[in-house]
Amino acid sequence: MSQYNAADIKKDRLRFTKNKQSSGLILLSIAANALYFVSIYSSDVGGYYYRFFIVLSIVYNLIFMLTAFLASEGVKNYKLSYAYTAIVLGALQVARIFFIPMRAHREPNPVVGAETLTVMSGGQFRYVTACLLISAALLICAGVIGIRKSTVLSKYQAELRQMNREG
Amino acid sequence: MSDLKLRHLEKIYDNNVQAVYDFNLDIRHGELIVLVGPSGCGKSTTLRMVAGLEDISAGNLIIDGRDVTQMPPKDRDIAMVFQNYALYGHMTVYENMAFSLMLRKEDQNEIHRKVLAAAEILDLTEQLNKKPSQLSGGQRQRVAMGRAIVRTPKVFLFDEPLSNLDAKLRSSTRREILMLHKRLDATMIYVTHDQTEALTLADRIVCMSMGHVQQIGTPIELYDSPANLFVAGFIGLPPMNLYDVLIKDGTASCDDFMTPLTAEDCWQLMQYEGKVVTMGVRPENVVPGGTITVNVMQNENLGQNTLVSGTVGRQKITCKFRDWCTYQTGDQVRVSFQKKHFFDKQTTKAIRR
Repeated sequence: MSQYNAADIKKDRLRFTKNKQSSGLILLSIAANALYFVSIYSSDVGGYYYRFFIVLSIVYNLIFMLTAFLASEGVKNYKLSYAYTAIVLGALQVARIFFIPMRAHREPNPVVGAETLTVMSGGQFRYVTACLLISAALLICAGVIGIRKSTVLSKYQAELRQMNREG
Repeated sequence: MSDLKLRHLEKIYDNNVQAVYDFNLDIRHGELIVLVGPSGCGKSTTLRMVAGLEDISAGNLIIDGRDVTQMPPKDRDIAMVFQNYALYGHMTVYENMAFSLMLRKEDQNEIHRKVLAAAEILDLTEQLNKKPSQLSGGQRQRVAMGRAIVRTPKVFLFDEPLSNLDAKLRSSTRREILMLHKRLDATMIYVTHDQTEALTLADRIVCMSMGHVQQIGTPIELYDSPANLFVAGFIGLPPMNLYDVLIKDGTASCDDFMTPLTAEDCWQLMQYEGKVVTMGVRPENVVPGGTITVNVMQNENLGQNTLVSGTVGRQKITCKFRDWCTYQTGDQVRVSFQKKHFFDKQTTKAIRR
């Protein structure tokens, strides 16, 4: 190793170390998503949320957490496909802002006497949007880092194979 | 340079049990010291005191001229390899080896360089991405050694590192440790109850019993000139034959046999004329041909040697003959004793002049 420069050593390290950076970011994104759904599901606004879309939301949350966790394990082992999965999940987190939070924020409150307010207050809307945006940003960062590291590693391994073939 | 001085070390546990008595030893840089003795003799306790895992009840431990008696283990710059490997099961070999350096917050590239260098020394390069559960016992022990090597400590401590390995692996790993010692020129203290390990590895052996140092010396010194009956009986496989004999008129005799003494033996035993002493004869110093009759009980062929166990009158005897022998139970073999060792019956110390 002594003949290699620092950049080469950095690449070589990838062969033996896991991509804990991306993996950690994805786990954090799951935590941010948890803050989002806890805020939504703990709301009690005259039964507004007790409709069919809440079922979809719960099912999606389960799928999201499972897929994100799988992606975190995948990117940890430099699997390129899981890095792309993380980016797609990040994009979907942004899209979710327009599903429940935006609609609830525009909907008048069904509670008698509180018609002038909306189902989701401005404060809660900002909070859940921030949670989803943070979750999305973490996922996209994790995906981008994962793609970069996986590409560097696969190129480096190809170089090593080539060097081995040439003796 | 990493010299060690163990000055009057003692270990007394809270329940007043004393495990080590007045242990004194100077270890030179690059020396491989083996502490050997039966279970409970205090060898591991001594090692753990050096490592800082046990408090030192009395005495001083000096490393490179610095008194580290009260220093915590992490500041002593010592690496220890345990019998049970003590590897992290959820980490890969690479991570196990790099872990201690990561805790020290060393540069990542430097850690990588050190781990790869250690892996190359220990022939573990192909295993770096595996977890300990995917490795054989020998490989796991090499990982444990690798973890010690990467730290480039002043002193390596080995606490019965080969005890969990089978005989063949033990032999090869022993050779690896010896090569490693030569390659690293490191100061090492090695604890074992296996005298073969002690004799093959050590620059000097410390033989212990009941917390006391019995003898310190080179392997050949302990084997050829045991200081007392304990060392004589402990070092050597099969163990030395021991008999109480009367020294009289140039002979050593008991009810069952009589053997002539050499001029040197007579000179050594001058003060014991007419007295009973303990005579020791190593099995390989019992040779065919002579006046002593052995009634054969067992004949064990070891390939190059044959171990013959039997009796001389009421005394038991083990002989190690160089040839392939085919004695049957009940056969009689005439033997004589070559080199003999004599011990004072009261003090159990070797008789020397």
